[in-house]
Amino acid sequence: MNRHGPIIPPEAAPLKTLTVAMAIMCFLACLAIGALILINRAVDAWTGGLQSEVTVQIRQLSDARIEDEIAKAETLLKQTPGVVSTTVLDREAAAKLLEPWLGPIKELDELPIPRLIRVTINPAAPPSFDALNVALSKQVRGASLDTHQRWQTELTRMAGVLKYLSYAVLALIAISAIAIVIFATRTVLDANRDVVDVLHLVGARDGFIARQVQGRFLKTGLMAGCAGLLAGLMTFLLLGFSGSGPGSGGIAEASRSLLFAPVGISWRSYATLLAVPIVATLISVLTAKFTLMRMLHGEW
Amino acid sequence: MVRLENVGLRYGQGPEVLRDVSFALRRGDFRFLTGPSGAGKTSLLRLMFLALKPTRGLISLLGKDVATITRSDLPGLRRRIGVVFQEFRLLDHLTTYDNVALPLRVAGQREDNYRADVMELLSWVGLSEQATAYPPVLSGGEKQRAAIARAVITKPELLLADEPTGNVDPALGRRLLRLFMELNRMGTTVFIATHDTQLIDQARMPVLHLERGHIVEAA
Repeated sequence: MNRHGPIIPPEAAPLKTLTVAMAIMCFLACLAIGALILINRAVDAWTGGLQSEVTVQIRQLSDARIEDEIAKAETLLKQTPGVVSTTVLDREAAAKLLEPWLGPIKELDELPIPRLIRVTINPAAPPSFDALNVALSKQVRGASLDTHQRWQTELTRMAGVLKYLSYAVLALIAISAIAIVIFATRTVLDANRDVVDVLHLVGARDGFIARQVQGRFLKTGLMAGCAGLLAGLMTFLLLGFSGSGPGSGGIAEASRSLLFAPVGISWRSYATLLAVPIVATLISVLTAKFTLMRMLHGEW
Repeated sequence: MVRLENVGLRYGQGPEVLRDVSFALRRGDFRFLTGPSGAGKTSLLRLMFLALKPTRGLISLLGKDVATITRSDLPGLRRRIGVVFQEFRLLDHLTTYDNVALPLRVAGQREDNYRADVMELLSWVGLSEQATAYPPVLSGGEKQRAAIARAVITKPELLLADEPTGNVDPALGRRLLRLFMELNRMGTTVFIATHDTQLIDQARMPVLHLERGHIVEAA
């Protein structure tokens, strides 16, 4: 005698559609997670750079020689504890920074372009910015200190918004997946109403009936999760090797960094992405079980 | 074992299909239920195998008042009752063997422990050749025998059967009656709804007559 056949007929359950829908959800989840990882990394890189650097700006005043003021500022900075090094940007470099706003500047000598000193500081023991600002104002004419505090705040705020947006997208994907599984579970149960009735009448407990269906949702969640993950990785790979010219917006580099970062950094990306099929399977199984038990419990 | 007192049943807002039905079955009883089509025989059986709740009256089943039974009590009670449905209710995607073994599988028994019993019962009802066949290819009589085998495989305390010999020839009908009587001798209370007067005559067991939802006589 052969082994028992499945109690709930497999062909009566429309789980192929669920598998496709869940795979798409998992693919979208992979993209959202990838975006989240890249945002986090970019914010770390930006804020790390900004925290270890400040800029001294010296405006051209009519009755002062700017080169003398730059020399005074440099001397003061080098004497300040917490300052690691200073780099004076020449007029051409300063003009280059203005190019995105003003275009190529031909009459460079006629414009009172402010001069910049890039100051590298020790982030572990930074100088007192207030005291440094006061000293610069007193000793150097036209000088001001920019600690990038405003930029840092803006960047952190923007990154925070993007991060929460990604989390919201992930939450919406999870809610949609749960709704799809609930719908599929109801359909399976409705399609097998006669079987369930007979099972109840021969003394089957709700848990027994739920177990007969649950196994299929486990398989569906796992398959869909793996398919979505694979599609997500393939997408990052394709983006990574697509054109990386000025029009790409850095997407190619970002995708490559996501996949091929050093192991110390990339293991977290892979671990987070690998969570997608696991979470998809859990959502599928637990939602199906909860829905089945609720539906079966509503019957006498 | 079974006690009904002034039981009434209506479907939705419709008229009462059962009215003031009262009778009792003691452990080891064998009773027939007859009556014209539409008299309410199937509805009465459905009440007795806990597929329906009465709209009024009292039903006590296997020592439990049906009104106080909780959902979690149902599987345990149903496992003590064997039911032969008029429309068989076999699962088309399971083999005859699997259909007959279903109550044992549902009760969590291991196949090693019941395989021989199922095969012996299939042989008894003349279906050993059809063990691996699926219900859609079985004849009406074969389906009926498979349904009977499924109902009796657990040797239930109470056996309820709705027209169990409606699709079989007289010889097989007698054979199935012998199976029911054998079970009855072993302690199962048997309650059979039937039109088959020959079967009733052969068994010589008490009969309840149902007419328009009401028990009119007990013979």
